[in-house]
Amino acid sequence: MLTTPLPGADARARQRASRERWVGLAMVAPALAVAGVVVVGGIGMSVVQSVGLLPLVGEARFTLDAYVANGDELLTGLALSLGIATASTLLSSVIGLAAAVIITQGRITGRLVAGLSAVTIPVPHLVGAAAVGLLVADSGLLPRWFGVEPGAWPDLVGGPWWVAVVLEYTWKESAFIALVVAGVLATRVARYDETAALLGASRARRLRHIVIPLATPAVIVSAIIVFVYTFGSYEVAWLLGRPYPEPLPVLAFRLFNSITLTSRPEAAAVAVITTVVSLLAVAVGMALLRRTPLWR
Amino acid sequence: MSASLTLDSLVKVFDDPARPAVDGVSFAVAPGECLAILGPSGSGKSTVLRSIAGLDVPSAGRILVDGTDVAGLAPERRGMAMVFQRPLLFPHLSVLDNVAFAATVAGQPKREARADATQFLELVQLAGFGSRPVTALSGGQEQRVALARALAARPRVLLLDEPFSALDPQLRGDMHVLLAAIRAQLAPTVVMVTHDRDEAAVVADRVALLQRGRLLQHDTVERLYTRPDSLEVSRLMGGRNELPGTVIGGVHRSAAGGVPAPEGETWAEGSGVLVVRQEALQVAAAGASAPEGFVALAVVVADRRARGPRAELELAVITDDAPDARPDSLGSTRLLAEVPASRPLAVGDRATVLVPRSACTVVAG
Repeated sequence: MLTTPLPGADARARQRASRERWVGLAMVAPALAVAGVVVVGGIGMSVVQSVGLLPLVGEARFTLDAYVANGDELLTGLALSLGIATASTLLSSVIGLAAAVIITQGRITGRLVAGLSAVTIPVPHLVGAAAVGLLVADSGLLPRWFGVEPGAWPDLVGGPWWVAVVLEYTWKESAFIALVVAGVLATRVARYDETAALLGASRARRLRHIVIPLATPAVIVSAIIVFVYTFGSYEVAWLLGRPYPEPLPVLAFRLFNSITLTSRPEAAAVAVITTVVSLLAVAVGMALLRRTPLWR
Repeated sequence: MSASLTLDSLVKVFDDPARPAVDGVSFAVAPGECLAILGPSGSGKSTVLRSIAGLDVPSAGRILVDGTDVAGLAPERRGMAMVFQRPLLFPHLSVLDNVAFAATVAGQPKREARADATQFLELVQLAGFGSRPVTALSGGQEQRVALARALAARPRVLLLDEPFSALDPQLRGDMHVLLAAIRAQLAPTVVMVTHDRDEAAVVADRVALLQRGRLLQHDTVERLYTRPDSLEVSRLMGGRNELPGTVIGGVHRSAAGGVPAPEGETWAEGSGVLVVRQEALQVAAAGASAPEGFVALAVVVADRRARGPRAELELAVITDDAPDARPDSLGSTRLLAEVPASRPLAVGDRATVLVPRSACTVVAG
């Protein structure tokens, strides 16, 4: 028998759905408010301050002076930050992917790599930076171990190539990428790998034709996170880098703490540029992600 | 594309050595033959298949392909291809590149690999689908592509792990027809795992019946139905009629009466259970006499259950002791017979069941 809905039943269902939507919204509202205030408020304040509308002293006046005041330093810092973030992200992605492949092989080496990665994650970057400094500085553990005179040891800490900074980021972030990608490989790729093996594909062919293409979306997503983090992170570059030139976050922090009161808008301008570049990096990453066949 | 395959006392233990997943399974598959490994869930049938493929390492026993032991050979070097229950088409490749995968990884130029793959797409009746992404296929089409991809690898043995069980009955029927056509054209050696008796009967030449890791019987489909080796086999194959009794002088005697062994066969003397398929029993009018080769038993319809186009009749045998009894007061000797649903037999009706001697066999109780 066909049942005809009572008149009004439809309206009641709509009313109920609407009420449920509001209840749902009300429940996430506190979290949304906190996140909104921090993100929108923080960025908004920086923008307002950087264009001279919120001076510590004097009259509020729209100006782009803060953006040009440290023009050279800003450009050098941008290039340096981009270089550090790009190198760290590329190295972390390659090493992380390799580690993920080793982890999913399931042998003792795999378990060892998984254990090392898991242990690496909770170590704070500041502690990691100190450890890397103690290890690779010219008076550090490694030169002593190898019996190299401090003068003959390359300038890894505070040197022109920012090697120790990239090394610290790579160590921490490759562990992060390894665990994220290993999760995807173990759950989503294992059966495809078996199928490819049964179709005659050797281990190397499977890696090239199956494992890497299928792991690519996970690598891209985690690489975006790594890039944005290393681009905007302050403490590692400050501890292990050289005093000049400064990467953007170090420059921003120095200007912010400067005794010159006019430096505040300049610090805000550096922060705004860092945020804009980070957002651009996310946009580029998402565009890359959309181009992968799995995403489509 | 057609190799012989022999399993020699294959054992696979996972965790508990006292309960191996596969326990001494041996059988041989001739080149071009299709063997179905049939068994309920957890019988070890998929483990047997994965061991043949090299995805699981056997604990003991040998696997021979064309007489050569393949132990220690990685899956990619065994020359087998497998189609799983899920099609597992590579999502980042087009339909054509999926089918061309084996040729591509073997180092063939892309153009040749794709030309070859096109032929196999035609074979599975999907010509023109090559440029599609695999996400644009239906379930049945996906499984056809998986089959084409496996065949394009020109496997020495084609392994099928319940490949059609996720499809609806109509599509499954189509896939059975397709498999038959492929077998007629390419004659690959096929080992197929299934839990579906009907599928095994339709697709396979021979069936290896497994339960709890042990091989119960390896035989033709027909013999598995009509000449089960044991009561376990009879029950797993869906046999419902079991008459415990004793064989004396080649005649099985039970509460239902005496049934002589079929022409040219002998039954072991002593106690044994006579089994006969419910589909083999014929139900005639009460008082009908038995034609040559049949045994007639007087029965009363005790129950009737609808089974779609068929009806299942539970028939209480009227013994000599109680010739006029009503069904509810009759003894426990019951037979089950399947008749067309249109037969107007109702509960309480008297009839004669004709048991063909050629369909009877006696197994140990």
